[in-house]
Amino acid sequence: MKFLNLLKKELHELINVQMIIGLVVTVGLLMSVGNMMSNVMDDATSETGTVNISDRDDTEFTRSIISSLESAGFEVNRVNEDNSDRAKLLESAGCDSLIIIPKGFTDEALDSASGDNTVSVGLELITSLKSTSALASMSDKTSAAAEIISDIVKKEFMTQKGLSEDEIGKIEVPLNISEVTVVNGKSAVVSPEILTGMIQSQGMLIPIVVFILVMFTSQMIISAISTEKIDKTLETLLSAPVSRISVLGAKMLAAAIVAIINAAVYMVGFYGYMGSMLDGAVNNADVVGSALTINDIMKELGLKIGISGFILVGLQMFMTIVICLAASLILGALVNDTKSAQTMLMPIMVLAMVPYFVSMLYDINMLSPVARTLVYAIPFTHTFNAMNNIMFGNMNLYWFGLAYQFLLFIVCMFFAVRIFTSDKIFTISLNFGQKKKFRSKHK
Amino acid sequence: MPVLEVKSLSKQYTKVLAADSVSFSVDEGEIFALIGPNGAGKTTTIRMISTLIKPTSGDAVVAGHSILTEPEKVRASITYLPDEAGAYKTMTGKAYLKFMAGMFAKNKAEIEEFTARAEKMCGLGDRLNEKIGSYSRGMIRKLLLSRAVMTRPKLAILDEPTSGLDVINALEIRKMIKELSRTEKTSFLLSSHNMLEIEFVSDRVGIIAGGKLLEVGKIDEIKEKYGAANLEEVFERVVNSK
Repeated sequence: MKFLNLLKKELHELINVQMIIGLVVTVGLLMSVGNMMSNVMDDATSETGTVNISDRDDTEFTRSIISSLESAGFEVNRVNEDNSDRAKLLESAGCDSLIIIPKGFTDEALDSASGDNTVSVGLELITSLKSTSALASMSDKTSAAAEIISDIVKKEFMTQKGLSEDEIGKIEVPLNISEVTVVNGKSAVVSPEILTGMIQSQGMLIPIVVFILVMFTSQMIISAISTEKIDKTLETLLSAPVSRISVLGAKMLAAAIVAIINAAVYMVGFYGYMGSMLDGAVNNADVVGSALTINDIMKELGLKIGISGFILVGLQMFMTIVICLAASLILGALVNDTKSAQTMLMPIMVLAMVPYFVSMLYDINMLSPVARTLVYAIPFTHTFNAMNNIMFGNMNLYWFGLAYQFLLFIVCMFFAVRIFTSDKIFTISLNFGQKKKFRSKHK
Repeated sequence: MPVLEVKSLSKQYTKVLAADSVSFSVDEGEIFALIGPNGAGKTTTIRMISTLIKPTSGDAVVAGHSILTEPEKVRASITYLPDEAGAYKTMTGKAYLKFMAGMFAKNKAEIEEFTARAEKMCGLGDRLNEKIGSYSRGMIRKLLLSRAVMTRPKLAILDEPTSGLDVINALEIRKMIKELSRTEKTSFLLSSHNMLEIEFVSDRVGIIAGGKLLEVGKIDEIKEKYGAANLEEVFERVVNSK
């Protein structure tokens, strides 16, 4: 009985309206984002889709390959354009990926059956890399189509040669596939998967760093304001002959300095991490087809971020920090006890979590317009995506993000200053159902 | 000329009229106390005088400066000690005094002067070199009170100056207030719901309830007026008669 009485009291303390609202908002937000992304997932993970094929051999065999692809559920878009510059070829064909069946493909495929147990003919796969998200890689159907072509050639090869089951097993690479990746109008002979993997391994730190900074900065300022409010040191300070803007400015500047030091330290560490990663030669000469390192290839494709790129990433990180500071000033002002101080971090945490997971898994531009707008409305999204935007030359999106962040900062600051320079700093509260109690306490 | 002149101060919150046309004055070296139960409007009135919140109507003049038009000059003339106020726990007592002195002082010499004065008054000795987080409630209150008077303000506003303190600490603080008013002519505006304490320390009182100032006068005079043995009885009779 006594235990139940104690348990009831503890539950009453722990379960409050703020907590329930926080949970409902979190679940609602995550579910709606999840629903909006389910269509994207379905499209991306389906095994078939549209493939663009340039059949330069144009024989019965190659036509039968295309028919087989269509029978397998692929929608084949035939491309007639030609250009030795692969980037321009994709542009003139108006597609993001292309399979080129070269002239002489049929002869070589069928003739090679008379020689050793390998096929020397090759397909060329050209892919325009616009994002490095996991889902973006999955949504490209070119590789799947190339595998089917490979199977068809292998089958034809076996039929021609009359190979036994044992001999079939010895044919490991029936088709040579040359992969070309196009980025920002530049092309290089490298697999998009290798590039994506490399960029993902480099870029995975950015969302983590941004997430830590967002949480750290917000916690710092909410705690600073709420402690001053709860301990009434704020009243003492604001009754001194000093302007409220000075008090607010000093708090903001101090927190910004600490946050900038943090951001700078993280970025220096990150730059070093990327440098050591890129400087090492990657053992992929057979894929690259030369002694080039990934570093060289990334430089060639304009994917290597220099100091200026890091400054731009740092700039959005700084904007993220100052937005957090301004928003946290407002949230901190809403606090009137230690319990509400802890829950005040929740809105910022949710807003940081959504773009964190979305940018790690999906290409935001692949989302539906509504979902995309919602995700981009979260100012942190732009920082999570800053590296990708700079790498892939989406500079309009980068500058828009920066301008949006600046605008949001101004709005948050406006409200923060309004609260600080009015009675609201002492009277505002988010203690649902307890406003009366709060008011009477401050009477 | 009074150090503080409160003229029909009112504060309307959304649904509550927390202060209703409150008027009184405090002379130089006088200890004036606003007494009333919790929620009577004491803190709201004090916060308006301290320029922390803006009045809905009315004005108050502190050392010749209006709280409406010259709030910074008002703040330079007063110090305010909120009810149950704390101090920065990670600072040492000495660092806190120095920091707060810096808010009022015009130069380094003044900072040193204010700090030295507060160090002497609070009587915390070597404990001033320790972090405030390790202080008892009584020690913090002494530190804050010495902080409040170290700048020799024209008016020191103390909200519930001895709330939560034990008898010995409360007595010391009351003595400190009386001493400063007598020797340095510091004016005090106190608020308290502890009427026996106020009877001991203050020269005049204002009885406030429901946001209205119901009675103002010297303690002996109002005790006589209401035929009461102490301030608590005065309060009861004032509230019942209005």
